[in-house]
Amino acid sequence: MSILGRILLVEDDPRDVELTLTALDDYKLANEVVVARDGQEALDFLNCRGRFLDRPHENPAVMLLDLKLPKVDGLEVLQQVKSDDRLKMIPVVVLTSSHEEQDMLRSYKFGVNAYVVKPVDFHEFVNAIKELGVFWAVINEPPPGSIKR
Amino acid sequence: MDLSAYNFGFDREHAGSVRSTALRYGLSVVCVAIALGLALIITLGLSLILQNDASRDTALPLFTFSIAITAWYAGIGPSVVAVVLSTLAFTYFFEPPLYTFYLYSNDIPDIVLFVAWGAIVSSFAAVRRGVENSLRQARDRLQLEVEQRAQQARILDQTHDAIFVREMNGAITFWNRGAEERYGWRRDEALGNITHTLLQTRFPEPLAAINQQILLTDRWEGELVHTTRDGISIIVATRWALQRDDRRRPIAIIETNNDITVRKSREGEVLKLNQELAIRAGELEVSNKELESFAYSVSHDLRAPLRHVAGYSELLQRHASTLFDEKSHRYIQTIVESSQRMGNLIDDLLSFSRIGRAETKKMQVSLEQLVREAVAEVNQDAGGRDIAWKIGALPVCSGDRAMLKLVIANLLSNAVKFTRMQPLAKIEIGCVDASQDDVEMFVKDNGAGFDMQYANKLFGVFQRLHRTEEFEGTGIGLATVQRIINRHGGKVWAEGAVDQGATFYFSLPKVHSAAERTANSS
Repeated sequence: MSILGRILLVEDDPRDVELTLTALDDYKLANEVVVARDGQEALDFLNCRGRFLDRPHENPAVMLLDLKLPKVDGLEVLQQVKSDDRLKMIPVVVLTSSHEEQDMLRSYKFGVNAYVVKPVDFHEFVNAIKELGVFWAVINEPPPGSIKR
Repeated sequence: MDLSAYNFGFDREHAGSVRSTALRYGLSVVCVAIALGLALIITLGLSLILQNDASRDTALPLFTFSIAITAWYAGIGPSVVAVVLSTLAFTYFFEPPLYTFYLYSNDIPDIVLFVAWGAIVSSFAAVRRGVENSLRQARDRLQLEVEQRAQQARILDQTHDAIFVREMNGAITFWNRGAEERYGWRRDEALGNITHTLLQTRFPEPLAAINQQILLTDRWEGELVHTTRDGISIIVATRWALQRDDRRRPIAIIETNNDITVRKSREGEVLKLNQELAIRAGELEVSNKELESFAYSVSHDLRAPLRHVAGYSELLQRHASTLFDEKSHRYIQTIVESSQRMGNLIDDLLSFSRIGRAETKKMQVSLEQLVREAVAEVNQDAGGRDIAWKIGALPVCSGDRAMLKLVIANLLSNAVKFTRMQPLAKIEIGCVDASQDDVEMFVKDNGAGFDMQYANKLFGVFQRLHRTEEFEGTGIGLATVQRIINRHGGKVWAEGAVDQGATFYFSLPKVHSAAERTANSS
């Protein structure tokens, strides 16, 4: 596979996936992205299970995590990642539609690295995604054990 | 009462002893004198008629009798006097040699007789007096006790509680006025009746169990249902006390009953209201939870498709920009703007609903400080416009600081927005000391104003009195203001006229010092 998978995008809505990839494509980051369509798949990827059994045992440089997900929801994924010694260094950015204070509080309590509400306006949305992608995948120095560029 | 009774007995006893001291010795002298007189007369008569000297045999019983009388009625001292006098008189007049006090040895038995007789009789008298005395004392004590009992009975009689005494077989032996009033039977009607039959008593537990307890502990209390003479059922709080005799055998039960029918029915009402309240609170909580999950899903699920509408419209515009004419571009632009606007409406609605759900944290808030902060923020957004602020003295009030800040910020940004057309915007903030309990604050501007005809629509959710082209906004600001002020127990209202500015008022409860509050409540 040519996909490096430095950015793990956990998003169930295909339209949101497409819009996010479009935004990241402007900076040629789209081929860095692995998409997990629910929480279970995300955990499978991180733990190299199921579909991802053969992938190299390295962590993504960042995980963009939606909160409302089928099967295992986003907060649950976040909690599992942050309580797993091998995974807890992965920077996690919650990317959600929700303005709800509850979600924000709980996310930070579980140790999220950033919390971003998806703007309705497309330009703002594209800018937000781009900045996130560039910051975490390009500018930020990922922790040891992450997939190298 | 009992003191005077005691004095009365004491006085009578005292008077008796005085009387006897004066008369007792007189009695002994008189008795002996009478005996001597009678003896002399009889002796004289007998000597004349029978020519026989039987004087000694006649005199002896007379003197003995006089000693006996004295000893019986006057006691030991006078009887000694009587013995001495009798001996002297007898020796002088009737013992040979006559008319001398000379004694032969054969006279000694007579004297011994006098003394012995006097001693016997006076000792009998002493015993009698002792018995009399103790009898009198016993009588006095009894009288005292009767007096006390009667008084206790009168006190029992006067109490409001229904009190009655029943024997162990249930027969009523005492029935106070409280019982007469409560149950309707007069004392003479109630006495002798069997209590539980008369009152149709209903017990909270089997009577056998109650009887067992009262025999064990001498006491029982509980609640009974009694039926009055008029056939009305009443609930009484009852206290039973067992009375026992000297040998600890139960003899009677004193029953004190207090009518608690009204209290019970009130308690029942309160209980019912409390239950209803609990149910309501539960329902409210459920509906609050529903509202919360509704708001949550609106927040998550309603915004996503909007974002897609906006996003794909943009992508379409990008991909097909060469194919579209100007009209198509405008259509696409309108789609994008509308979804943007819809997003704003959803956000506003959500934050409005959050205000309704959030807890208010009451504290002392300086309105003046809030206004200064809000003015600074609003001025930044005003883009260097010339605004004449006039801020009066503002008090401290009690409320949630963040919420009240939102109120003031909303009112001030409205004032700034609606004075946009004015060359010089004037915004005045002040306070009216309306009443003792409330603070009334106002924000007055010289802006676009409004028609008083529509004043009732000002505070509605998404209600707008101006066109979007004139003044932007979703129409949530004043609804938020009203919701916050209502949650603080205050009111909002507005005055204005088209193109002549508007004044928005709100009232808040004042902060009272603790001392003031205590003074008011007492």
